[in-house]
Amino acid sequence: MSSPRTKFYLDKHNAKWSGVCAGIADYTGLDVTVIRIGFVLSLFIMGPMAFLIYFLISWMAPRKPIELYEHDPAQKKFWQGVRRSPHRVARDVRSRFRDIDRRLADVETYVTSSNSSLAQEIEQLR
Amino acid sequence: MEDIMLPVVILGILFIGFPWVIFHYITKWKTAASLTTADENLLDELHDLARRLDDRMGTIERIVQDENPNWRQLGSDAVETALEDRSDRILEASRSNRPFRRD
Repeated sequence: MSSPRTKFYLDKHNAKWSGVCAGIADYTGLDVTVIRIGFVLSLFIMGPMAFLIYFLISWMAPRKPIELYEHDPAQKKFWQGVRRSPHRVARDVRSRFRDIDRRLADVETYVTSSNSSLAQEIEQLR
Repeated sequence: MEDIMLPVVILGILFIGFPWVIFHYITKWKTAASLTTADENLLDELHDLARRLDDRMGTIERIVQDENPNWRQLGSDAVETALEDRSDRILEASRSNRPFRRD
């Protein structure tokens, strides 16, 4: 349905059972333990319904392709942010570009002004 | 009356309330997640580019910082031009035993 990096997968590498809770944790960026505790609590509330949902998810969702495992935690966090809100991530990237622009402008001002001062000194030496 | 109402309410919650909530969030999620593969690649590339430019900016800033520790004031202040002026004033200040004031 959607693009490969924003899809939901079963996380078999960090799975306890069939990787649904680990998949949810990987998708949202929440802690796996919190998700598992939530699942156990939902067992008390919904009873067999929770198991049904669990098996439905583990049956329907694809397992995560090996190339999509991110080794860089910053990269992993970035994609979790994209899944939560692409708009906010796009704004964030824009603000980073603006920051780079501002810093580059600072350096440019310095370089051009110091060059002009150097030129002045050369003029004085003549 | 109570005996009839309770199962009706429970069944209503179970068969209408739950699916309603679930489908409400499913539709919301489907409208929100409208990122195509091309968008995703673009975002990935921009993110990577920003990171690399950030690194390069850091390198350049370090080089300039090494060259002249207070380049930021020099760059922002048009009156303060030459480096020699500055060192003269430092010398003067140390000679007259006054703390050097940079303004």
